[in-house]
Amino acid sequence: MSEEAELLPGTLDLLILKAVSLGPLHGYAVLSRIEQISGQRLFVEQGALYPALFRLVRQGLLKTQWGKSENNRRAKFYELTAKGRKRLREETDWWKRASAAVTTALAARPQQA
Amino acid sequence: MIAAYLRSIARRFLWRAQPEREMEEELQSHVQLRADALERGGLQRAEAERRARIEFGGHSRFKEECREAMGGNAIDQAMQDVRFSLRALRKSPGFSLVAVITLALGIGATVATFSVVNTVLLRPFAFSHPEKLLWIYSQRSDNPRTNFSLPEYCDYRDQATSFEALAGVASFNPSFADSGPPERVQGVRMSANSFAMLGVRPLLGRNLFAEDDRNGARGVVVISYGLWSRRYARDPAVIGRAVNLNGETREIVGVLPASFALPNLDTEIVVPLQPDADPRRNVRNSVNFLRMVGRLKPNMTPQQAHAELEAIRQNLQRQYRGIYTGKIGITLVPLTEEIVANIKSVLLTIFCAAGAVLLVGCVNLAGISLSRAAARRRELALRTALGATRGQLTRLLLTESFVLALAGGSLGMLLEVWGQKTLLRLVPTDLPRIESFAIDWTVLLFAGVLIFIAALACGLAPAWLLSRSDLRDALVSSGRGSTGGSLQSRLRTWLVSGQIALALVLLVNAGLLLRSFIRLSSEKPGFDSTDVQTIRFSLPQTGYDDVAAIAQFYNQLHSRASAINGIKSDALISILPLAPRSSSFVHFTRPDQPPARPEDTPTTNYRIVTPEYFRTIGIPLLEGRNFSESDDAEHPPVAIVSTIVAKNNFPDGSPIGQRILVDDTEGDPRPVEIIGIVGPVKQTNLETPAKADIYLPLQQVPKDGVQWLRNSVYWVVKTSGGTIGVERLLRDTIQNVDRNVAVGALRPMSESVVAALAARRFSLLLVGSFAAAALFLAAAGLYAVISYGIQQRNREIGVRLALGATRAKILGMIFKEGALLVAGGIIAGFAIALALARLVASQMYGVNERDPFSFAVVGLILSLISLVACGIAARRAMNIDPIVSLRCE
Repeated sequence: MSEEAELLPGTLDLLILKAVSLGPLHGYAVLSRIEQISGQRLFVEQGALYPALFRLVRQGLLKTQWGKSENNRRAKFYELTAKGRKRLREETDWWKRASAAVTTALAARPQQA
Repeated sequence: MIAAYLRSIARRFLWRAQPEREMEEELQSHVQLRADALERGGLQRAEAERRARIEFGGHSRFKEECREAMGGNAIDQAMQDVRFSLRALRKSPGFSLVAVITLALGIGATVATFSVVNTVLLRPFAFSHPEKLLWIYSQRSDNPRTNFSLPEYCDYRDQATSFEALAGVASFNPSFADSGPPERVQGVRMSANSFAMLGVRPLLGRNLFAEDDRNGARGVVVISYGLWSRRYARDPAVIGRAVNLNGETREIVGVLPASFALPNLDTEIVVPLQPDADPRRNVRNSVNFLRMVGRLKPNMTPQQAHAELEAIRQNLQRQYRGIYTGKIGITLVPLTEEIVANIKSVLLTIFCAAGAVLLVGCVNLAGISLSRAAARRRELALRTALGATRGQLTRLLLTESFVLALAGGSLGMLLEVWGQKTLLRLVPTDLPRIESFAIDWTVLLFAGVLIFIAALACGLAPAWLLSRSDLRDALVSSGRGSTGGSLQSRLRTWLVSGQIALALVLLVNAGLLLRSFIRLSSEKPGFDSTDVQTIRFSLPQTGYDDVAAIAQFYNQLHSRASAINGIKSDALISILPLAPRSSSFVHFTRPDQPPARPEDTPTTNYRIVTPEYFRTIGIPLLEGRNFSESDDAEHPPVAIVSTIVAKNNFPDGSPIGQRILVDDTEGDPRPVEIIGIVGPVKQTNLETPAKADIYLPLQQVPKDGVQWLRNSVYWVVKTSGGTIGVERLLRDTIQNVDRNVAVGALRPMSESVVAALAARRFSLLLVGSFAAAALFLAAAGLYAVISYGIQQRNREIGVRLALGATRAKILGMIFKEGALLVAGGIIAGFAIALALARLVASQMYGVNERDPFSFAVVGLILSLISLVACGIAARRAMNIDPIVSLRCE
């Protein structure tokens, strides 16, 4: 349990974009992909996923297509749009800068202050 | 591409179920895929599906969020917002109830006053292009609005070129009889072409047309909508019916629309003027009884028309030397303005007052919503975290206030519809055009706009605040003491100060109106209305050809009345005091002091009375003697004047025994001896100071006055109290003398005094209640903001108390804050009231519109009530237990 990190507010969209950027995915696969690429440390609430997906579609960051899953079930696949790709780049940069800043801040020692 | 887009839009609108079904399918497939995964992990299929469903939870829980995220069409979104707000409002029923009631009263009051404004001021007049219609008066040195004589009118009519047509209008109050008993009606004689000129369409039958004015044309009459309803129960068969007007048979040819009205004239009937049939057609110095109304030619301005009429007037004056002295100019007034001029500022004041109450109410609600928004910061922050955009939240808050405004507005409209009758009872009866009162589309549209504005006014502040504050803070911190909070409380402070300022403006206005009303009602009208009944009647046209016949009639009436137990005294008079629509005046001169210029000839109100008049109505005889039975045609003419005449024209000594020349005949002025002086009387209304009066005895009336008296005279009766059956008794007494007399309605003299105050009572009542409502709302707003502040600072106060601050100190702190708020509001209110004072100046009587006393008293009242509101709120602070408040974190 200690291995699981709480999902920070606002990071769900970023993670979804990242997961889908690696190839078209259906909803359930997005969950598994996020768990997989975070090294089983981030788990997304199932109920929170779909509102986020629909929102990203509406914002034009994702596009959808019905298709067959690996075990031959009909499912809706999500794919990054050009706009989504751009947004992912921006958000990734922002996240890197922000977390680096926080990390630096947290690493501060008394004599440096 | 475009086609595909259009198809997708069309699909959304026409087939809204599809995205819904797709969503359902997708969620199902998710559960199946999860079950597949669990099955691969070694579970039985059935168990795997069951667990997958449990993990996923109930779909409907977040379907709504999904729908919102997906974005439906506008209708879906609006419905969804409404669903959300209804849910939110149900959660705080207290707030919702207060909000709906406040808005219902505010919107109801504003719409109600608007419906009156709409009827009286905005509703189109019965005339086409009313802006081109001008009402024309002859101007005298002491009165800008007097009448023309018939030959004069004909000259202007024939010579003026700036008008398409120029009509003459005169009041005409004949007895009106058909099969029933004769009745006195109030109407006009009017050039028959005037209907074409005014552009009035008849409701029924036809209007008068130029042919009706021809000498010897068949007698016709047009009746008003009111008379048609009252006397004929709106029977369409009335057209073609023969009626008897002053003994003359006329045929009813048309019914006027309900909206037909002329300034200062009742129009129950309209008959053609027939100028050439009138014996006064060529008598240059005959009585002035006509006003004119004209329609400007399209390219003419009122200034050009005025210049032309003025030139004609000067020509006439040169041509007929000595005839038109005293007529010093022409007064032109737009017809529509003349109809509503007196009441315009009163109605607009009342309307603005109602609007101000609504505004105060909205501001109050905005304040409450602000606190609620603050309390809901966590909820809103949570929504943001779950993906709601700021725009969506703003929309949500606005929808909430819109739902409230709509509920309040609908309730307000119901109140308006139910309260219509009460409203019309409050309205003074002489309000022009009010008889056509109806709630029409304009009113409904106005109500709609008002609801929209109210929704924005209530919802905008919290929504704006939301857009300024960082909601992520709210989720992370405990949601207190952040920037949004201080902005919020600053905004509330401003709102409360604004409320106090508005309330103050209304209170000042109400105070000024109250002082004016008190001043005016304590004005002495110059007579005593106690137990005095009046009844107006017209004598038949035949059998009353000279003064002796009229005097004979009265003698019989008097002897019958004297025999009745409850009647103390009785008399006749030509025109009663406080009769705003009737006037009669004459010129007179002192033979020993002829005026330097002809236009300086003094005028005086002219009244014909019988000797008992002064005793009956309680006008004191101050000097000299009263008329007696022997002041008849055989004896030298005598007159009684009021003290005003004595003061203005006989400053050098008593006028008793002096002779003056009274110009009340078509011949030369006749000498009359002054035998008595009576007190001054307000003849037109309570506002206008008493002017000069001259009274002449009935038996000495010159021949020219016979027709005038025959058409209208008042019987004034002093009873020993009690009103039951009096009307019947007096009517019967008159008709027992001559059953062909047309008797009008009984009116107690006290009612005339009340009527003279009616418009003021109306505006005082309404502005007063609106001011009280605003005061209450402002006090409630103040209370709310102070107690909210205390609640927010519970902990701080607790700490202070724990550290040894006395309760008095805390109290002082709270009061200081309240005092600052109130002082700000009062100063702003004074500034607004002073700036607006000019607009209400015309409604003041005996009080300056910037009356410092009223301002001071109102400021004091408002401060006191604010202090009480502060005090009640502060009591809560006093009950704070430091231990509890520190622990409750």
